[in-house]
Amino acid sequence: MESLTKITTAFEGIANSRALACYEQHDGYQALRKALALSPAEVIQQVKDSGLRGRGGAGFPTGLKWSFVPQDYKGNKYLVCNNDEGEPGTFKDRYICELSPHMLVEGMIISAYAIGAGKGYIYTRYEFFDEIEWLQTAIAEAYQAGYLGKDILGSGFSFDLDHYAGAGAYICGEETGLLSSLEGKKGQPKLKPPFPAVSGYLGCPTIVNNTETLATVPWIINNGAAAHRAIGTEKSAGTKLFCISGHVQKPGVYELPLGYPFMKFLQEDAGGMADGLQLKGCIPGGASAPILTPAELQDLTLDYEALAAKGSMLGSGAVIIIDQRQSMVELLKVTVDFFHHESCGQCTPCREGTGWLASIMHNYSAGNKAKRADLDLMHAVSKQMMGKTICALSDAAAMPTMAIIAKYRQELEDFLEQGQKKQHEPFYQQQEQRGSA
Amino acid sequence: MSIAVNINGKEYQGQAGQTVMEVAKANDIYIPHFCWHPGLSVAGVCRFCMVAVEGRPKLEIACNLPLADGMKIHTNNAEVKEAHKWALEFHLINHPLDCPICDQAGECGLQDYYMEVGKYPSQMRADKVLKPKALDVGTDLVLDTERCILCSRCVRFEEEVTKTSALGIFDRGDRSIIGTYKDKKIDHDYTTNLVDICPVGAFTSKDFRFQKRVWFTEEVASVCPGCSTGCAVELAFNRKLHRYYRVKPRSSEVNGEWMCNFGRTIYGHLNIEKRLLTSQVWDDDSYQATDTPLVLAQLHDKLTRAKSIGLLVSCQYMSEEYRSLFDYFAKLNAGIWEWRSESEDRTAFDGILMRGDRNANSEGFAQELQTLGLQSRGGFDDFCANSFDVAIVLAPELLTTFTNVEQQLQQLQSLPFVSMWSCSSDMLERSYAQLVAMRCFIEKMGSFTNHAGNVQALPQAIAPLNENCIDVSAAVAVLESSGQKGAHASAN
Repeated sequence: MESLTKITTAFEGIANSRALACYEQHDGYQALRKALALSPAEVIQQVKDSGLRGRGGAGFPTGLKWSFVPQDYKGNKYLVCNNDEGEPGTFKDRYICELSPHMLVEGMIISAYAIGAGKGYIYTRYEFFDEIEWLQTAIAEAYQAGYLGKDILGSGFSFDLDHYAGAGAYICGEETGLLSSLEGKKGQPKLKPPFPAVSGYLGCPTIVNNTETLATVPWIINNGAAAHRAIGTEKSAGTKLFCISGHVQKPGVYELPLGYPFMKFLQEDAGGMADGLQLKGCIPGGASAPILTPAELQDLTLDYEALAAKGSMLGSGAVIIIDQRQSMVELLKVTVDFFHHESCGQCTPCREGTGWLASIMHNYSAGNKAKRADLDLMHAVSKQMMGKTICALSDAAAMPTMAIIAKYRQELEDFLEQGQKKQHEPFYQQQEQRGSA
Repeated sequence: MSIAVNINGKEYQGQAGQTVMEVAKANDIYIPHFCWHPGLSVAGVCRFCMVAVEGRPKLEIACNLPLADGMKIHTNNAEVKEAHKWALEFHLINHPLDCPICDQAGECGLQDYYMEVGKYPSQMRADKVLKPKALDVGTDLVLDTERCILCSRCVRFEEEVTKTSALGIFDRGDRSIIGTYKDKKIDHDYTTNLVDICPVGAFTSKDFRFQKRVWFTEEVASVCPGCSTGCAVELAFNRKLHRYYRVKPRSSEVNGEWMCNFGRTIYGHLNIEKRLLTSQVWDDDSYQATDTPLVLAQLHDKLTRAKSIGLLVSCQYMSEEYRSLFDYFAKLNAGIWEWRSESEDRTAFDGILMRGDRNANSEGFAQELQTLGLQSRGGFDDFCANSFDVAIVLAPELLTTFTNVEQQLQQLQSLPFVSMWSCSSDMLERSYAQLVAMRCFIEKMGSFTNHAGNVQALPQAIAPLNENCIDVSAAVAVLESSGQKGAHASAN
C-alpha cells in the first residue's frame, strides 16, 4: 500500500500523543506562530487557496465561510467547534480528540485569529466522556503555555476557549441548533437568514466549523495551501477521515485522500467483507446519505462530486457497509425511527412527516394492514419533506427513505407477500444458523 | 427605499426591510400562513407560506423572505399549490377532527383553509398522536394541546408582548407539546389575546367558549370605552337575540394587534338584562316607566323654576354630547362637576395598553369645557357639598370602572331632586327623582379623544334598543324644544 499523507491522524501510533509536550515535540503550535506573523486576511486567503471544505457533512468551502464575517463589526465575534458528532455511523471527531486534542485547539486559535473572534467554544456531545476530559485538559495546558488567553505569544491577539458539553441531541450537530443549545435554549435550528456568520451565537457573528475542519488548519499553515491542494481531487482537496463500519474485516477510522476509490478502500484498507458475506449496499456518508447499491459502488470514488453524481453524499464520511443478511425493511424502519426520534419538532413537514413515516413503517414491518401503496405514500411524503424546512433534518430523513424504497423495492414488496417470518428473522437466529452450517 | 416586486405578474411597491408576506398582505394577496403574525417576531416554522421565486431552486417562505429588487414571486402556481396542499396535510394528520365540538369552528385557520383548498380525504391511516386536553392553564383560558399545531404564536406573545414567558413547547418531534412551565399559570391582563392569535382551537376563552357559535354572530366595529387608550375593537353580536358575546381587538395604530382583558369585559352592560330600557319617574315609593320626552319635559319644568342647578358628569360620554350639554347648561348658569373614581391613578400605564384613567373621554370632556370657557368645579365630594334644587347626574356607562360607585350612588339619593342619566338597570335599585334612559357607546355616533389627543370616531354600529333610549345630545335637544314650546305656550 502506498504511503498516504496523514494530516488529522498524524499522531497515530505515537505514544502519549495527547500531551502538550508530545504535541510540541512534533512541531505543535508552530503553525500558530506562523499564522500570528501573517495578517488575518492572509490566513483566510491561505485557507481559501487550500481548497479546504467543511468536513462535517455539507462540504462548504471553509475560507469562503470565514470571509462572510463582517470585517467592520465592532462587538464580540465567536468561533465554535462543532464536536457534536451525532450522525449515525460517524466516529471520526472523537478520534481526533483521542489522538491530538491540541491539533484542534491550535486550529481553533488560528481560525479565531483569522476571523477576529475573541472567544471560542468546543461543543461536544454529552456521551463523549473521555473526549470531554481530554479536551479540557488540552485547553488547560494551552492556557498554561500561553497559547490561549491574553496577548497570545506576544502577538497582541487574545482568545479564550471554553468547552461545552451538549445533552446528546442529534439536531445540536446542525450549526444553528448547536448555537441555540449553546445559548442555553432548546436545541432548535434558527431561521436563516440571518446566517450565523452575520448573526449567530447571542446574535453576534459566529463561525461554526467541524472538528476535523479546524484540526486541518494547522497543517495548511505549516505546509502551505498548495501542498493541501495537491492532495485529493481538484474540487475536493485534502484528506478526509472515513469511518467504516458494518461487517468488514477491519472497521475503523481511515484517513484517505479525497477521490480515493471506494472498492479499494473496502477491499484493501478495510480488508473486505468479513465472514465471506456479500455486499448488499452501502450508506456512504452517515444515516442521512442515500444508500448505494453494489453496482453503484464499483466505480465510485470518495469525494464530494463523485458521491453527488451518484445521488448520495459524502456527508461526514461515515461508510456503513450492509451485508446480505440485513433486512431492508428493518433498515428502513430504524432509519425513519431515528429521524422521528431526533426531529426537533419545530417545522411542520419534519415534525409530522418523520412521525408519519415512522408510523407507516411500524405497521409495515409488523405486517399490520400493510399495503404496497404504503411504499408509494412514504415516497410521496418524503418528497414533500424535502427542501421545506429550516434545517436539513427533514431532507436527511427523506433522502435515505426514498433511496431505500427506490432501490430495494422488490425486497420490500416481497416482504409483504412472504410474510414477515422469512425476511425478518432476528439477527441472532441467522448467526446461529450460520454457526451450525 | 422603495423596492419593486412582481407578484403573480403584477408590479407592487415595497420598502427595504419588508418581507414578501408583508407586501402581499398590504396588497390583499392572500398567502396562507399559521405561525406568522403581524404583531410578533417571525418564527418560520409552519412552513405554510411557501412561494416560488423565479430563479431560485426551492420554494421559500414568504414570512422570512426579504424583498429584493426585481424579485418575481408566484403565490399560486402549480408547485406552490402542491406545497400548500401538503402543508395542510401535514398539519392535519395529527390534528383531532373534532370540529363539531370545537369552539374555534367557524373561525379556525385550519378549517377555513381546508374548506378553501382541501376537501379531500386524508391519506393518514395510522393512529393519531394523543395529547392532554382541556387543561386549566389560568383564570381565563382552557388549553387543548392535541388541537395545537405548534405554531408558537402564544409562546412568542408571552415572551415578546407581556414578557411573562409562562409558555413553552416541550419534548421534540411529533411528541412536541405546548404547555406552561412548572408551577406557572398564564395570569396577566392580556391572556385572552392568546385565544385570538391561536389559529386553531387550542386556546379557548372561559368567558366565550360554548356561549355562541361564531357563525351566529356578526363582528361590529367600535372603539373600546374601557380606558383612555381607546383600542380599536369589534364586538360579536347576535342581531336576532340582540345580544353581545365578546370583544376582540381590531388591528390599529393605537393598539397594534392587542387589547387587555378588562376591555374584553365591556360588552356585558350592553345586553338587555343590564339595560335601563325606559326612562322612569319616581312616584311615592316606586318608579313609573315614562316616555323619555315626558321625563325630560318634567326636568325642563324643574329647571325653569330652579334657583341652583348642578351637573355631575362622568367622562365616559362622547365629545359631541358634552358640547351640546355644556352649551345648554352654561346658559342656565349651572355648575359642572367632574365625576371620577376616587381610587384612580390617572397617569398610570402598564407599558402595554392599559391606562389608569378608566374613562374613554377625559380629554374630550376637558376640551369641550375649555372651548366654552368653562371649568370643572371639582369632584364628587365637592358636588355633594352643595345643595341644588336640581341635580343632573351623567352616570358612568361602565359602572365597574368606579371602585366605590355603590356608595356614591347611595349618597346621591339624599339630594332633593336628582335626574339620573344612565344606561344601566342598576339604577332601578336606587331611588332618584327620575331616570333618563341613555344609549350605550355602540348605539351612538360621536367621538372619544384618547390620552394622546387622538380623536377616535365611533360609528353608530347598532340601532338603539328602543326609541326611549337616547343620547345626551338628543336629550338636550328635547329640553331645548320643551323650552321653545313653553315660550310659545306662554306667548299664546
